[in-house]
Amino acid sequence: MKILLILALGILLSSPAQADPRDDIIAGFKAQGAGDANLANGQKMYSTTYGSGKPDTPKCTTCHGATPQQGGQTRTGKAIDPMAVSRTENRFTDKKMVDKWFRRNCKGVIGRECTAQEKVDFLTFLASQ
Amino acid sequence: MADDENTAQTSPTATTTTHVITVWDLPIRLFHLALVAVVLVAYLSAYVLPENALGLHLWSGYVTVALLVFRLTWGWLGSHYSRLQSFAYSPAHILKHLQELATLRPVTHYIGHNPSGALMVFALLMVLSIITVSGLMVLGGEENQGPLAGIISYAVAEHAATVHNVIVLLLLAMVVLHIAGVLLETKLTGQRLVRAMFNGRKTVPLSTPSLPLRPARPVTAAAVLTVFITIAGSVLWALSTMPASGLITLPANTAYEGECGDCHSAFHPSLMPIASWAKVMGGLDDHFGEDASLDAETVTDITSYLTQYGGEKWDTEASNRFAILNPAKPLRITATPYWLRKHSAIAPAQFKLKSVGGKTNCGGCHRDQQSGRFDDQNIQIPKE
Ligand code: HEC
Ligand code: HEC
Ligand code: HEC
Repeated sequence: MKILLILALGILLSSPAQADPRDDIIAGFKAQGAGDANLANGQKMYSTTYGSGKPDTPKCTTCHGATPQQGGQTRTGKAIDPMAVSRTENRFTDKKMVDKWFRRNCKGVIGRECTAQEKVDFLTFLASQ
Repeated sequence: MADDENTAQTSPTATTTTHVITVWDLPIRLFHLALVAVVLVAYLSAYVLPENALGLHLWSGYVTVALLVFRLTWGWLGSHYSRLQSFAYSPAHILKHLQELATLRPVTHYIGHNPSGALMVFALLMVLSIITVSGLMVLGGEENQGPLAGIISYAVAEHAATVHNVIVLLLLAMVVLHIAGVLLETKLTGQRLVRAMFNGRKTVPLSTPSLPLRPARPVTAAAVLTVFITIAGSVLWALSTMPASGLITLPANTAYEGECGDCHSAFHPSLMPIASWAKVMGGLDDHFGEDASLDAETVTDITSYLTQYGGEKWDTEASNRFAILNPAKPLRITATPYWLRKHSAIAPAQFKLKSVGGKTNCGGCHRDQQSGRFDDQNIQIPKE
């Protein structure tokens, strides 16, 4: 049993470094038809006031920090870590979480699901911050 | 009985030569002072101090019980005038004394308790016993604490709470009457009763017929108390080890704590009736003005967890109180009449404190919210 464990550990350690999960997620959106990222569009999306979704949440920065480097707050007062990857290392590394929040927040703020292109722009912009 | 010892009475007119005797022994005087202090603490901690002073209130209750046990023991083995027997007057005798008092003319002085005072002593002992027992029942059924937590249900505790709340008012009235009575007797007998309460001494005529006065038996009293405390203590301890009724252990559920703790802290499932939870779970895409939607599988998982552990499955103060919803906002804990009443005195700024964040972060002030107890002793509004 012990030997097996050590063996397994050895194999794990010697295998090549895992691909960045963010790249996998972005690749997934590209497979849904998105092209290359447009950072300016991503930045605009972060701070635009849409007003086409739910009245209490007109823009992403209703909850997320005023800048990607700042922390935010849910409407119930719970802190949200900064969205910039340089500040919060594990941002956009869990596909389920990314999908869940894009679905919720895009519907809540814009009033529709985001397109794959918008998602790529948004993620790439924040990964560059 | 006391009626046979009426010879102990002295009349103020019969003074020729007098002498000073000790009527109230030291233990009975200390008992009296301690009882006054502890009843005062009990009232203050209930009516004046904030809710989280429950600990102090409980201590005053426990000390009262100890004092009552002592008083009964001393009423049997104390010195003559402390013995219950020495002031157990017949109803007719008490009535006669009260009629005498009503005339407001000088009355016979009794060396020990006079008949109306004796009546008050017995009534006080009775009322204090009812208060402490009903208090323990409330503690067990509503707060799920103390020796009766395992036996008393919330519904029973509610009745006990009514008794407790009414009888403490009666006690207050009795205290006033008691003091008024002492002042009246002081005036009508010419005896310095209040001073006697402190130093135990009274001046009585030499002609007072001597009585077969019984001395205290402190050693026997101590032995009786020890035996009693051992037995009662063991029973209470055994009862305390029983699990609190209506307080089930909640298994962890990562889906619930994770998904429903994303925007606000996950609420304890006991805080809303099952039907309310089901409605919340059925409308997540428009959740209090936000989209909180989840995949179908997670929704099913969380819904069954909340159905299994929702309000009806508990018998705590919180589960019972929050079962009464606000018809206009049936999905909100913070809109229930009880929640609003309990938090009305808290300034909005205190909910905005950094470590609290908002009214939905119950754990910011209730350090035991994870157990669903919401004990008074565990309430603490953070400093910042
Ligand atoms: C109502 C408040 C709110 C609004 C408005 C909001 N978000 Fe969010 N968002 C959250 C919360 C809460 C989280 C999860 C907490 C965390 O990640 O720290 C989150 C997480 C995310 C995530 C996942 C982050 C990760 O690490 O995987 C993405 C992507 C996201 N939001 C995008 C958006 C976009 C795009 C908008 C505007 C269109 C937006 N959000 C508006 C509250 C909000
Ligand atoms: C996207 C963010 C978000 C998520 C995720 C979320 N909630 Fe909420 N919830 C809110 C907001 C916003 C409110 C309204 C708070 C306010 O008005 O103070 C709220 C309020 C509530 C209330 C009423 C609280 C009160 O005022 O008494 C309940 C109950 C509730 N949520 C249950 C849940 C459950 C169960 C889940 C998990 C399935 C969940 N919430 C997940 C945002 C969220
Ligand atoms: C800002 C701090 C704060 C927050 C947040 C808060 N409470 Fe309270 N709560 C208090 C205080 C203080 C009291 C005692 C009030 C009093 O003295 O009557 C109290 C009393 C209570 C009681 C009565 C306790 C008892 O045994 O008498 C319950 C139950 C309760 N709160 C539940 C909740 C729930 C559920 C939430 C979240 C939805 C919540 N509280 C949020 C401060 C808070």
